[in-house]
Amino acid sequence: MHHAHRSIPLRTLIGVCAVVAVMGPRPVSAQVDVSGEWAATFHEDLAHRGGMRLGDYTGLPLNEAGIRKAQSWDEDARSMRERQCVPHVVTYAMRGPANIRLSKVVDPDTGRLIAYSLQGTYGRPRMIWMDGRQPPSDLAPHTWVGFSTGKWERNTLVVSTTHVKAGWLQRNGSPTSDLTTMMEFFTRYGDNLLVVSILNDPVYLAEPFIRTTNFSLSLSGNANAWGTCSPAQVVDELPDRRTGFVPHYLPGQTAHIDDFLKSSGVPAAGARGGAETTYPEFALKLQKPDTIPAPALTPRIGRVPQAVPAVTGEIRVQPVQNNVSLLAGGGANIVAQVGKQGVLIVDTGSGKLTDNVLAAVRQLSDQPIRYILNTGADPDHTAGNEAISKAGSRVGGGLVVAGPATTGATILAHEGVLFALSAPGGKPASGAVGGLPTSAYTGDLQDVFFNGEAIQLLHQPAAHRGGDSLVFFRRSDIIVTGDIVDLTSYPVIDGKNGGTFSGLLDALNRIIDLAVPEDWQDGGTLIVPSRGRIADESDIVEYRDMVTIVRDRIQDLMARGMTLEQVKAARPTFEYDGRYGATTGTWTTDMFVEAVYRDLSGRK
Amino acid sequence: MRRNALLFVALAALLSVAVSAQRAGGAGRGGPPPTPRAAAPFDLTGVWVSVVTEDWRWRMVVPKKGDYSGVPLTAEGRKVADAWDPAKMASDGCKPFGAPAIMRVPGRLRIAWDNDTTLKIETDAGQQTRLLRFEKDEKLAKAPRSWQGYSAAEWDRIISPGGQGVSLQRAAPRVGPLKVVTSNVRAGYLRKNGVPYSENVAMTEYVDRLSAFGTEWMTVLTVLDDPQYLDQPFITSTHFKKEADASKWMPSPCE
Repeated sequence: MHHAHRSIPLRTLIGVCAVVAVMGPRPVSAQVDVSGEWAATFHEDLAHRGGMRLGDYTGLPLNEAGIRKAQSWDEDARSMRERQCVPHVVTYAMRGPANIRLSKVVDPDTGRLIAYSLQGTYGRPRMIWMDGRQPPSDLAPHTWVGFSTGKWERNTLVVSTTHVKAGWLQRNGSPTSDLTTMMEFFTRYGDNLLVVSILNDPVYLAEPFIRTTNFSLSLSGNANAWGTCSPAQVVDELPDRRTGFVPHYLPGQTAHIDDFLKSSGVPAAGARGGAETTYPEFALKLQKPDTIPAPALTPRIGRVPQAVPAVTGEIRVQPVQNNVSLLAGGGANIVAQVGKQGVLIVDTGSGKLTDNVLAAVRQLSDQPIRYILNTGADPDHTAGNEAISKAGSRVGGGLVVAGPATTGATILAHEGVLFALSAPGGKPASGAVGGLPTSAYTGDLQDVFFNGEAIQLLHQPAAHRGGDSLVFFRRSDIIVTGDIVDLTSYPVIDGKNGGTFSGLLDALNRIIDLAVPEDWQDGGTLIVPSRGRIADESDIVEYRDMVTIVRDRIQDLMARGMTLEQVKAARPTFEYDGRYGATTGTWTTDMFVEAVYRDLSGRK
Repeated sequence: MRRNALLFVALAALLSVAVSAQRAGGAGRGGPPPTPRAAAPFDLTGVWVSVVTEDWRWRMVVPKKGDYSGVPLTAEGRKVADAWDPAKMASDGCKPFGAPAIMRVPGRLRIAWDNDTTLKIETDAGQQTRLLRFEKDEKLAKAPRSWQGYSAAEWDRIISPGGQGVSLQRAAPRVGPLKVVTSNVRAGYLRKNGVPYSENVAMTEYVDRLSAFGTEWMTVLTVLDDPQYLDQPFITSTHFKKEADASKWMPSPCE
């Protein structure tokens, strides 16, 4: 008995020793353990880490667009129904006044580290993936925490984050755009953890913004944990506000912006931020503030390069949710819903890459294409109608014995699309026109039920142009917006064909009414714009707010008697040009301003 | 008998790995240990500029009297800070440029090896010189107090008992950041508005280097312990951007 008792640990020991001998000395995979409970220390930037005051942009390397956007921000924006559940965005979260918990996530079968999870800081829980996975496509939705991957460099965990929603640097409206990317460096020094965050935002930062945040190991403290914030918890904090009300300050009218200067003694030239103010030379300039030149608006700019060109020659397929996918690269975005009954397509692209579109559809399903729904009449949405319809077959009506399914998928759209395609410019088309809607609806909506899902075409009168429809997949919870939302541009208003600015704004507000986010204002209803990545309600709120703020500014300038040229010169879109503007092409910033001006002046 | 032989072979194999691991982190096979300069895991030399994105209102301008926000002062420390007289600021001299404060002063650093065991940091703001000594010098450590005091430096070594998950095995210590412990300083100011540190302050710094978006950065985590004026360790972290040359060097003395 005694003999048997000894034999087991001996074998185990020999086995372990043999394994170790074979492995030899190798670097350990996690160089320094950063997991644990970490208490934030607040010896730096204390005034910036609780609430922060309007007018205090000290130390922020904002460009002029960023400064102007910050100065238009109104604290009431936090009370909007659509923003009450917004958590701390990842670009700011580490500065929140709270502790954090870094935990290892380990594969239960292999014991290998998959990820670190990071909780606390009033932000949403984050995953830092350590398993080598690649970031999602640039067509994928953005979230408040973004997508983070990590790797070790010496003793530092280096984290790269993309896919972050438009957010802020500080809680006083100093902005970040949704093109921001972030690198973080987690380094443990004894019982201290240093987190270096460096943000790169081509829209609102003049140069990358670096912050260093300190934490101390806590053997007793806990990360702050929050219950959920669901849409059901949202209440009216801004009573008697009309639909679509967006709190903001007009340029030069920001209330209380000088209060910070008076209480802190900080000179105005320093308080407004900017990259120049963060270098030692600026301290010398502050000794002679009269020599600091007044800020000037930079020359009109176009948007910074963005990831999703309109026509790439390649059709990229991005799952949206449920059985619906986005097909990008063939003109305006195309959406395909697949199921046992066949394939339903929303918009057909520019027609130049139809074979590629069909090949992409075939990757999703070998069932026949039964329906094409058009959100609008523009060629980049409809030019592929004919060829894609011919590749499909429609489900016949009437008696089943009447024969097999008819050649060609059903093309369904608002009657405005039919009129526009059959009589472009109000005159009958010369020659045969292919790809016309085979069925056109005239009222406010058209129902479809396909592949077990209710789908609605919701007419939006006089928005981008006449005949616009939103396509709402009710079970999949997806809205396809057509040209009402273009996340790569200011919204296009085709006044010659029935589009109006006010109709477009109504349509944006309707999308927001229809969309329901999940908890913490992330996800839920997903929205496919005419161009650009998949969005959710928060993205549309950001877009709607931009459109509304520009409208309010132009209205104010007009009330002061300015002509169209004077309005343009005042640059009412200034801080949005880097994200949506264009100085050349078919839809420029000037054309957008003209469209708003015309609409507000009652002219067509 | 056979079991004992097996055990002996296995332990011998384990021992060989452990010895090999120790060599991997040690001085090499028989030769002298590399000098601190040769052993540097990263290069800190060059010109670095402070980029003041944090504590701007307390670093770029002279804060108002009594504004010691964020500094965990004792009651005595607050009393001293409240007694500061802005009208006499010109006579403060180098008090805001001592070692516990100098890395927070907006300016440029010029870092170079003074010799194989001493790293030299010069500042243009206040024209101070810090000597980070990798070889202990008891005589200098007890010399009369100075603004920059005595700084003992080492490449920090991170010991990992347990190596690769087997407690008997020892992994090679990893070379970490530059660690600097400074003492023997003259009393001075943490901020230009008279927020004090005493001559008994002990300062530990960790200096590291990183790269992001095409820019090289140096970071300094600073922990100050001052039993007289601080009621807890005062922890700050400061960052510097690498510059191509010293063309923007703007020396300005403090006395």
